[in-house]
Amino acid sequence: MTELLQQVVDGLGRGGIYALIALGIAVIFGVMHLVNFAHGELITVSAYTAYALFVAGWNWWLIAPAVVLTAGLTSVVIEFVAFRWVRGAPDFTMLMTSFGVHFLVQAAFVMYVSANFRQFPRPGWIFETWKVGGVSLEVFDLLVILFTLLTLGATYWVLHRTMFGMSLRAAAEDFDAARLMGIRSDRIIRGAFALSGLLAGVAAVFWLMRSGQAGPTAGLSPMLKGVLAALIGGLGSLSGAVLGGVVLGLAEVFLISYLPESLVGLTDGIVFLFIALLFVFRPQGLITVRRAERV
Amino acid sequence: MLKKLSIVSVLLAFSLLAAACGSDEESAPSTLKIGYAADFSDLGGFADMPASQAGEHFVALVNCAGGIDPEDGIDIDAVLATDLGNCEEVSGTTLEMTVENIAGDPEVTQRASQSLIDSGVSALLGPAFPDFGEPLLQVAAGEVPVLFVASTEPLLADASILAYLVAFDDTAQASAAAEFALDQGWSTAVTFSAPGPYFGYNPEVFTEVFTAGGGSVVADYNFVPIEDMDFSTQVNEMAAGGQAPDVVYSAMLSFQSAVLRGQLDSAGVATNYLVTDAFEATGGYFTDGVEGFYHTTHSFPSEGSRIKALADSYEATHGSPLENSSFGGLAVDAIAVVIDAFVRTNSTDPKVLGDAIGQADGVHGATGDLTYVGTSGIPDKPVYVHQVVGGAATLAATIG
Repeated sequence: MTELLQQVVDGLGRGGIYALIALGIAVIFGVMHLVNFAHGELITVSAYTAYALFVAGWNWWLIAPAVVLTAGLTSVVIEFVAFRWVRGAPDFTMLMTSFGVHFLVQAAFVMYVSANFRQFPRPGWIFETWKVGGVSLEVFDLLVILFTLLTLGATYWVLHRTMFGMSLRAAAEDFDAARLMGIRSDRIIRGAFALSGLLAGVAAVFWLMRSGQAGPTAGLSPMLKGVLAALIGGLGSLSGAVLGGVVLGLAEVFLISYLPESLVGLTDGIVFLFIALLFVFRPQGLITVRRAERV
Repeated sequence: MLKKLSIVSVLLAFSLLAAACGSDEESAPSTLKIGYAADFSDLGGFADMPASQAGEHFVALVNCAGGIDPEDGIDIDAVLATDLGNCEEVSGTTLEMTVENIAGDPEVTQRASQSLIDSGVSALLGPAFPDFGEPLLQVAAGEVPVLFVASTEPLLADASILAYLVAFDDTAQASAAAEFALDQGWSTAVTFSAPGPYFGYNPEVFTEVFTAGGGSVVADYNFVPIEDMDFSTQVNEMAAGGQAPDVVYSAMLSFQSAVLRGQLDSAGVATNYLVTDAFEATGGYFTDGVEGFYHTTHSFPSEGSRIKALADSYEATHGSPLENSSFGGLAVDAIAVVIDAFVRTNSTDPKVLGDAIGQADGVHGATGDLTYVGTSGIPDKPVYVHQVVGGAATLAATIG
C-alpha cells in the first residue's frame, strides 16, 4: 500500500509540471485552434535567460519572476513576428508556422550561442524530502502541485472575472462575431499569447530549477509532454490540461514501476498507444469541451 | 659521323640519368587537403564545434611553423608552441582543412561529404554519431579514409573500408570503468541504461566486465537520455531495497546524473558515481551537485601535456577557451594521423593514405599516441578516469 501511495505521489509530482506546460498550450488552442509547437521555445529562451542572469550574479528569487516575464514577452514577440501574418490562414499554415518558429529559435541558439549545454545552479532545497508514514514527499513536487493549482485558479479568474478574459472567451467562441461586437482582435490575440507565455514561464521556472541547464533543445521535451497532456485532457480545456498532465505523470510512473525491466524502454511508446486507444473511444479527450467553454 | 654519334649517345645517357634521378626524388605535393564533415546541429555540435575549432587552429599552427616537412613530418610539441603572431614561411607542404556542416541530417551529410571528396581532399574527418557516420561511409565507399573524431561507437570502425575511430571505443571505456570500480574495492553496482548504442551499450559492457571480475550488478534501471529530470520512481525503489550499492554506473548526461544524485542523497542512499565521457561533453564541470563524481574521458590536461598546450594556445590566440579540450585534442589527433600517413607515403592519394593509416604506429597526438597497426580501426589508447574534486578535474587513474 505504501508503495502504491509512493507511486501516486511520484506521479502527481511528475504530472504537475506537465500540467503547467499544458495550460499554456490549452490557452492558445482555445483562441486560435493552434497546437503551438513553438511553446517549448519559451522554455528554451527562459533557460538561456536564467543562465545569463546567473552569470550576472542574480539568485533564484530574482530569476524566477524575470523568467516568467521573459517568457510572456517572448510569446508576444513570437506572435508579432510570426503568427500575426498567418492569422487568417488555414490551421495547417499556422501549425507549420509554429514548427518554423521552433526550428528557427533552436538553430539561432546553436549558431549564435553554442550547441553545448550551459549549466547553472539549482536551488539548495530542490531535493529536500519529507517522510510521512513511510512515503517520501519531495518539497519540489509539493510546490509544483501547489503552483499548478494556484495557476489554474488564477487563469480561471482572469478568464471569467476580467473584461480581457470575457473578450478572450468571446473571441474563442466566434472570432468574427466578437470583432463585430467591438472586441479588438489584435489586443485579444496578443493577450492570449502573453497569458500563454506567462504560464510557460511558471512551468519553465520549475523545469529549470530541476534541470539546471540551458541548451538549444531545452524546451523540446517539456513541449512534447505538454502537448500530450493537453491532448489527453481535451484540447482547449484548462481543467483538462491539468487532468491530462496528472494522468500522463501517473501513467509514466506506473509503467516504470510495473513493466518488466526489459520493456521499460518502451514506456513512451506505450503511453502513445494508450493515447491512441483513448482517442478511439473519446476523440475529444478526457474532458469534453463545448465550443462556448473553450478557454 | 662516328664522333657525332658518340656525342648524341653521351647526351642521351646524361638525359636518361637526369630523368632517372628526377623520378627518385619526386617533389612533395604542395598541399595536403583534409575535409571535415562536422555536425554543428544541436545533436553533434557539442563535439564537432570545439573539435573543428581546435582542428582549424592546429592547421594554422602547422602552416605557421613552416608546413609539413616531407621527410620529417611535424614536431607536434613545436607546432603547439608556435606563436601565430610570428610565423615562418611555408617551406614544406601546406596543410588545408575544409569544414562542411552536415547539420545533423543524413542527406546533408552525403552531399557535404561528396562535395569535400570532389574538392580533392585526401582524408575525411567524421562526426560523432553513427546516424551520420554511416551515410558518410557510404559516400567514401572505402576509397577515402574517414577518421571519426569524437565517436566512441565501435561499429563505425572498419580498417578494411578505411574507417577509423580516433578515440577509444565504448567497449574500452566501459571495461576501464569496470576495472576501475573493481580496483576501488567496490563489489556492488546499480546501472542506469537506455536501449541503444551508447546509453545501453556502456552499461552492458560494464556489467559484463564488473561481473566477470567478481562484482555484482544488483539492478539496472531504465531512463530516457536527455529528457528525464525526475528519477523518484527508481530512487524510491532503491531506497526501499535498504542497501546502497557501492557505485552507480551510467552513460547519463551531466545534468541528469546530478538530478539522480540529488534525489538519491535525499533518499539516504549514499554511493559513488561513475559515468562516461558524456559527463565532460555536456559541461559536467559546470554542473552543481557532482562533487566526487568519477568519469571516463580522453585526456588529462596536466601541466606540460600537449592537451594543455593546445588549450593554452587556442585561448591565447582566440581570447576565449576551447569549449571542450578533449574533443579539440581528438581533432588534432586525427590530423596528426593523416600527416603521418602522408609523410610515410609521400602521397596525397586517398586510398594510399587510407591504407597507410592502418599501418600507423605510435603517432604523437594531442591526447596520446595512436597506433592502428594490428587493430580493426580502433586505436589502442589509454582511458583516463577523472574525479571531480573542488569542482575541478583530478586524475584518479589511467587505464590501458
